[in-house]
Amino acid sequence: MSAVSVQAIVGAAPSPIEAPDVDYATISPLLIILGAAVLGVLVEAFVPRAYRFVTQIAVAVVGVVAAFVATVVVGAGLDTVDGEVTGRGGPTAMGSLSVDGPAVVTWAMLLFFGLLGVLLFAERRLDGGLSAFTSQASTPPGSADERHATRLRIEHSEVFPLAMFALGGMMFFASANDLLGMFVALEVLSLPLYLMCGLARRRRLLSQEAAMKYFLLGAFSSAFFLYGIAMVYGYAGSFGLAEISTAVSSQIGGQNLLLAGMALILVGLLFKVAAVPFHAWTPDVYQGAPTPVTAFMAAGTKAAAFVAMLRIFFVAFGGARWDWAPAVWAIAIITMLFGAIASIAQTDVKRMLAYSSIAHAGFLLVGMAGLTSGDGVTSVSAVLFYLVAYGAAAIGAFAVVTLVRDAGGETTHLGRWAGLGKESPVLAVAFTIFLLSFAGIPLTGGFISKWSVFAAAWDGGAWPLVVVGVVASALALFFYIRVVVLLFFAPPQGDGPTVAVPSPLTWSVVAITVAVTIVLGVLPGPLLDLVQQAGAFVR
Amino acid sequence: MTAVTVVFAAMGLVALVSAFLVVTSDQIIHAALWLVVTLGAVAGLYVLLAAELVAWVQVLIYMGSVVVLLLFALMLTRTPTGPGSATVTRNQPLATVVAGATTVALGAVMWAGFGGEVIDEDEVRVGTAARLGDAIFRTWVLPFEVLSVVLLAALVGAIVLTRRGER
Amino acid sequence: MTVEPFIGLSALLFAIGAIGVLVRRNAIVVFMCVELMLNACNLSFVTFARAHGNLDGQVAAFFVMVVAAAEVVVGLAIIVSIFRTRRSASVDDASLLKL
Repeated sequence: MSAVSVQAIVGAAPSPIEAPDVDYATISPLLIILGAAVLGVLVEAFVPRAYRFVTQIAVAVVGVVAAFVATVVVGAGLDTVDGEVTGRGGPTAMGSLSVDGPAVVTWAMLLFFGLLGVLLFAERRLDGGLSAFTSQASTPPGSADERHATRLRIEHSEVFPLAMFALGGMMFFASANDLLGMFVALEVLSLPLYLMCGLARRRRLLSQEAAMKYFLLGAFSSAFFLYGIAMVYGYAGSFGLAEISTAVSSQIGGQNLLLAGMALILVGLLFKVAAVPFHAWTPDVYQGAPTPVTAFMAAGTKAAAFVAMLRIFFVAFGGARWDWAPAVWAIAIITMLFGAIASIAQTDVKRMLAYSSIAHAGFLLVGMAGLTSGDGVTSVSAVLFYLVAYGAAAIGAFAVVTLVRDAGGETTHLGRWAGLGKESPVLAVAFTIFLLSFAGIPLTGGFISKWSVFAAAWDGGAWPLVVVGVVASALALFFYIRVVVLLFFAPPQGDGPTVAVPSPLTWSVVAITVAVTIVLGVLPGPLLDLVQQAGAFVR
Repeated sequence: MTAVTVVFAAMGLVALVSAFLVVTSDQIIHAALWLVVTLGAVAGLYVLLAAELVAWVQVLIYMGSVVVLLLFALMLTRTPTGPGSATVTRNQPLATVVAGATTVALGAVMWAGFGGEVIDEDEVRVGTAARLGDAIFRTWVLPFEVLSVVLLAALVGAIVLTRRGER
Repeated sequence: MTVEPFIGLSALLFAIGAIGVLVRRNAIVVFMCVELMLNACNLSFVTFARAHGNLDGQVAAFFVMVVAAAEVVVGLAIIVSIFRTRRSASVDDASLLKL
């Protein structure tokens, strides 16, 4: 290196970097969750094994509750912004995050799902005093190593910090204000989930295969998402959603670049929310993953990805609405119909719930076709309400799945569930309530949420979607009723299903989700007010 | 025909041919080594585009550690590495159609989309470590910190998944 | 020199990687093809950064490399754990789940 260039570098060095301007109080919920995750890693390293599992639960629960309180405080302090649309809050942390009304509501929702998930992860009474996660993920099932570990009650509790990492990623994803931040957030939420999928204690091979499939397809789809981001960056010259929006409305640059970028970003996100034709991973992963992980993933990923999708398409690409809306319409129609029809053919409870999750992605896409602002039900508020109701019912349904067992662990074949109503009426009624909510029967949260997305779409002029949605709901209803009949009236096969007696952890999850499902159906007012006051996205 | 064009043509050709060989190579080890060549050629293109630091990071992280990790995985899993070890699936025709369509679409779109914008040779913002550091630790500080979380999560998770025996 | 050749090259690399993901059977090779796709993305980022005269694209390329490194760690952990339980790294052998 020549003396001149050394001089140049030394000469440039004295100008110090200005400290970035970050409002730590506003982003505290995110920091608390990531802090809890890091603390969990330290607990794993330093706390004696005997106390580790309990300590991990305590760290996770305290972290989630503290973050929830912080979210409420942040939410109460948001300023109202009157622009083209009414919103609350705004960008912070050098424009990386937009802590606005929808973001805060999503944070609260995700933390609620996270708490329920942690409670399910912590359940140890179902499987002879061991959790649902293996401590020997890479030994053949039933090997000497594994039997040894089981006998000694060796357990690994890293799933709690991993879940906290995923939760932090989901919160970041829902509130990121630029595309690069969204990509990073997508990976933070996905990588721990890929890993957790492969940790099932029972049916190890199925679980590892689910992890592999989820990982390869996930990496493939995030490459598409990333290429889309590159194109949009090429079009707008910036990653910020506000700058992209300005570029879109002033129509600078080549429109083709924008169109291709939007299409690729849409593909990446539709994969995450499990919409047809990017749904192929869903049934396999939902079936193979440990059921508590499936519950957490079904509710959390869908919520985070949908809010992120609305944010990208409403804020950044709002000016190009008539370019992306037809694609969303088409995918919504295929997804609703496919999800409803395919679930009829299922014989496995977890796969059935997976197809139901696909169908719900379709209904949520209907909500996306609504109005972005106005006095009635807007897209954002309808989708937020739907996500709360769906997430609660999904977690509850998977919690019930963890309880119906035989000698080999959970028994998920639908035929084996016949006669559950006699074996455990309480559990059967709870499962029925979740199914009715999925079907959208009045007096459950599912009814109000379907009504609100349909209302939003109708106001937005998307009546064909509403018609298809009602047809798909009717088809699905037929199937859900068949399952309910099976639970209560079909003769049990052999000895019938056995219901394990769980600790209060799982019971409280089932009780809370039943309560939420019914309260949202009977008294939806408070939550509807909340999501409507949250207002629009602020960029 | 400037020097830049000549270097681009050479590097681009190397990248394309070696990428093609990654996908078609009959032996897994060869595929991994061709990947190194592709990554090196792309690093050369970064230098051409005035992205110094990115080029170096590409050499260090990608060629230096990612590919080495891949080779380690090959050894750890004792995957057969002889000829014919890297067979292909049956959905080849479908994949060819899909990928052909993708290339044509992407290429055409980008070509049309960036209609003849010329890189201004005089106004170069070289991506030095100092400039990138400035951008990362101001504008991008939050994503950057969260990125460190990704690495930690991957590390912890990988240990959990592959650990064997009782420590 | 214009930016199109760089973008065209990036599109070709991306497509080659995508073909690889679809046709190759060994999980580790599939994984290499994903790396190829991410590299194509990075080439676009850096090219557009050059064209727009700002450094955001280079920051993005930098971030993508870190994410790719983390992805490799996770992917290889999954592949190694599968191999240890069943001694194969082929995508098709994983067939307990219906496609």
